[in-house]
Amino acid sequence: MNLLAVQRVLGLLLMVFSLAMLPPAAVSWLYSDGEFDTFLKGFVVVFAIGGLVWFPVRRRHRDLRRRDGALIVALFWSVLGTAGAVPLLLTSSTSLPVTDAVFVSVAALTTTGADLIVGLDVLPESILFYRQWLQWLGGMGIIVLAVAILPLLGVGGMQLYRAETPGPTKDTKLTPRITETAKTLWTIYLLFTVACAIAYRIAGMGWFDAVSHSFSTVSLGGLSTHDLGIGYFDSAGIEIVTVVFMILGGANFALHFQAFHRGTLKHYWRDTEFRTYVLLLFWLAVFVSVYLLVADYQDDRGTPIRSAVFHAVSIMTTTGFVSGNFSDWPGMLPVLLILSSFVGACAYSTGGGMKVIRWVLLTKQGVREVRRLVHPRAQFAAKMGSRAVPEKVVSAVWGFFSVYVVVFAVLMIVTMALGLDHVTAFSAVAACLNNLGPGLGDVATNYASIPAATKWVLMLAMLLGRLEIFTLLILFTPAFWKK
Amino acid sequence: MRFGLIQRIVGIFLMAFSPAMLPPVAVALIYGDGALEPFLYTFIGTLAAGILLWLPRRRDHRELRVREGFLVVTLFWVVLGGVSSLPLHFSAAPHLSFTDAIFEAVSGLTTTGATVITGIDELPHAILWYRQQLHWIGGLGVAVIALAILPVLGVGGMQIYRAEASGPSKQDKLTPRLEETVRAFLRVYLLLTAACAVSYWAAGMTVFDALGHSFATVSTGGFSTHDASIAWFQSDAIEIIAMIFMIAGGISFALHFQVVKSLDPRVYWRHPETRTFLLVVLIVSLIACAYLLMHNPQANVADRLMNAAFQTVSVMTSTGFATESFADWPGFLPVLLIFVSIMGACAGSTSGGMKTVRIMMVYKQGMREIQRIVHPNAVAPVKLGGRVVSDRVMEAIWGFFAAYLLIYVLLMLLFMGAGLDQVEAFSAVAATLNNLGPGLGEVYANFTSVSDPAKWVGIVGMLVGRLEILTVLALLVPDVWRH
Repeated sequence: MNLLAVQRVLGLLLMVFSLAMLPPAAVSWLYSDGEFDTFLKGFVVVFAIGGLVWFPVRRRHRDLRRRDGALIVALFWSVLGTAGAVPLLLTSSTSLPVTDAVFVSVAALTTTGADLIVGLDVLPESILFYRQWLQWLGGMGIIVLAVAILPLLGVGGMQLYRAETPGPTKDTKLTPRITETAKTLWTIYLLFTVACAIAYRIAGMGWFDAVSHSFSTVSLGGLSTHDLGIGYFDSAGIEIVTVVFMILGGANFALHFQAFHRGTLKHYWRDTEFRTYVLLLFWLAVFVSVYLLVADYQDDRGTPIRSAVFHAVSIMTTTGFVSGNFSDWPGMLPVLLILSSFVGACAYSTGGGMKVIRWVLLTKQGVREVRRLVHPRAQFAAKMGSRAVPEKVVSAVWGFFSVYVVVFAVLMIVTMALGLDHVTAFSAVAACLNNLGPGLGDVATNYASIPAATKWVLMLAMLLGRLEIFTLLILFTPAFWKK
Repeated sequence: MRFGLIQRIVGIFLMAFSPAMLPPVAVALIYGDGALEPFLYTFIGTLAAGILLWLPRRRDHRELRVREGFLVVTLFWVVLGGVSSLPLHFSAAPHLSFTDAIFEAVSGLTTTGATVITGIDELPHAILWYRQQLHWIGGLGVAVIALAILPVLGVGGMQIYRAEASGPSKQDKLTPRLEETVRAFLRVYLLLTAACAVSYWAAGMTVFDALGHSFATVSTGGFSTHDASIAWFQSDAIEIIAMIFMIAGGISFALHFQVVKSLDPRVYWRHPETRTFLLVVLIVSLIACAYLLMHNPQANVADRLMNAAFQTVSVMTSTGFATESFADWPGFLPVLLIFVSIMGACAGSTSGGMKTVRIMMVYKQGMREIQRIVHPNAVAPVKLGGRVVSDRVMEAIWGFFAAYLLIYVLLMLLFMGAGLDQVEAFSAVAATLNNLGPGLGEVYANFTSVSDPAKWVGIVGMLVGRLEILTVLALLVPDVWRH
């Protein structure tokens, strides 16, 4: 453990992060909404704090090791999440208490998109922009996390992808070549965002909404600039654009990289995870549509198929955009949708949940166990594509699965002890742990009404989910802190 | 799959089961309650059907294969569940519909204890006796029949034991010779039942109630001869007796046998699983008691402690006796108890749920994965009671854990599709899949109010839970059905 070097990186991160206050300041200046000072002050405050953290240890140029990496990502989301609340506290247009400000900031930065501000439509543009912008930055952070940190630590079997990632991540140090990989993926991320914004503009949004929503679409965040979310626009075109870019954002970015690099699309379908991901989305959408049709569910938006497809994609990819109130849907649908967010998006995407690839592996393992019962002496290898998966990876994925489930159960009990009812607790914890956003019951539209203590627990859930649980949990083991 | 052989075994099941109709006939004669005929007819019908199935195949003495064992064990519960529903369907007093009769019978036989009957106190004694007796036979079946009857038919006992308890306790075979084992099992079971009945009687129950409740206690079933369950007696002594024998029913019968043989009760404490089980009971009881007192500081401490402990023991051993409605307890307690029932008591007992030992292993493995992230190259085998658990067994436990949760979620969605709300559906799965009995909300006291499709979901849940899930899943492997 190299705490001083970590402190140095943290200071640098804060100073870099303070620059994130400048674009909203520019927006404020552009729309003259009176929040220019807020963001300027925010910039100065965060920069100063970062400088104070950095200055005493500025000469600690030591290489960072695996454990330092885990600590830094945990600090990245928790400290930057808190720092992101600064402008929300400084502004006078929303008088949020500290808890709520931090909640919004953490929810945005982890791309959860759980909202608790009511009356978005009358907020100053710069504040709205800032929230969307935080999600976009969070998405960039996730890409680094996925490329560099998780495979390095072997969290939940993510070493599986080591060999496949475009860039060598086999070393035990955070090498410059990982930075290179990250830069490439960032470029793709940026391109998608631009494409998404233009598509939104063409589909009928104003420029401000188009750019803002492109941020929260590609990052799979799900915050909107309107109380009604995407439903505000009531436009099939916009919903189609959203669905397409959510699917793209939820796919493995390494695949996108190959597509750009080699100019081919065939490899998408050859990828087991992507294929499963698309098929799951497809069948979920079909099932929800049929269920709504059979139950003869009526909303004021015409055929329920449009809502079904939109919500299936939005929730399973853990984006959390809404275009109506899916929590009022009949029978099993609301719970089914919430459960689908446990599957989540693909690894190496900006999505949350357990990730499709782990489910693929778990399913294969489960089938193997059942076949073993019938043929006790036969040898079966779990395969991914055409390669056998090492036992160590398999047990890491099992471990991930069970710890995920246990963490979910514990957080659900804790939130219920703090006053949530069963349905609300179940969905709120799922929505935060999977970085989804909207839940059921009291949190169907937003998180404004729940007690403050619960909000802190849910923030913990968001961080746990974002850091794939293990990265955060290991910080609480004594072994981690030993020399 | 050799269906002739299976037919012979099912015939023997039926013939062996038919005498179970005679004690209720005797009870009907003693009390002169007129509920004699359905039992007599069922006895004759079952015996005749058994002979008809058995006679053409009586010379088929071939060895049963492992694969066939899965079907035999499954058929044991399905066929006997069907047969034992007949008296309930045809009797005049409860006069249950086909679905209700099957539900009640399967619930009895799988020692679940969920009922669809209200007004139990007014039922004829023969019917009451019959329901309790179903528990007792079911409990016997859970622990013994797979070992007792099938080896007599010439089965290599190990394979069947595998099918019955696809868990880690294979090595806990009592004595190498199976028939001896069975006699030992039976002796312990009879001893516990007799001790329980005498204690109940001494504590003030009538002979009829004492016997009836001892059946439901030792088998961890949960049926009562009164609507109000154990609360009807209003006696601390009876509650304490019930607790002691529920715990006894939740501990492995292999261990009881050792204690009977060595007369050394320390054996219990030296057994890691039993120790963990008892500790969890203690901790959850204390949490429940503390939370209840927090919510109602005026309450009598001893009374709260008693009720907290009783409900915890009752739920964790999957018995489902009630002294007060835990479904009405405040905050997170109902959900906590439902979670505890998913854990269940010990392997090798009559209880349901996943079994403590599996949860222990899953926990240990999860911890190992966390350690592995910190020390990627350390070799740390998972141990239980000083013995290293092989990877093979670990994988089987993972598979079980994941399959259990997936079945849980699937049944929950089906319950919701059949009209239950989320809390009811969540708890109804626990009530049936864990062979617990009571759920929350509408399904707390009984399943009378749920729709017929939901009852069938419950029946499937009880059977699948009793068959430890994988036994049923193995039947889905095509190889099982090959000649």
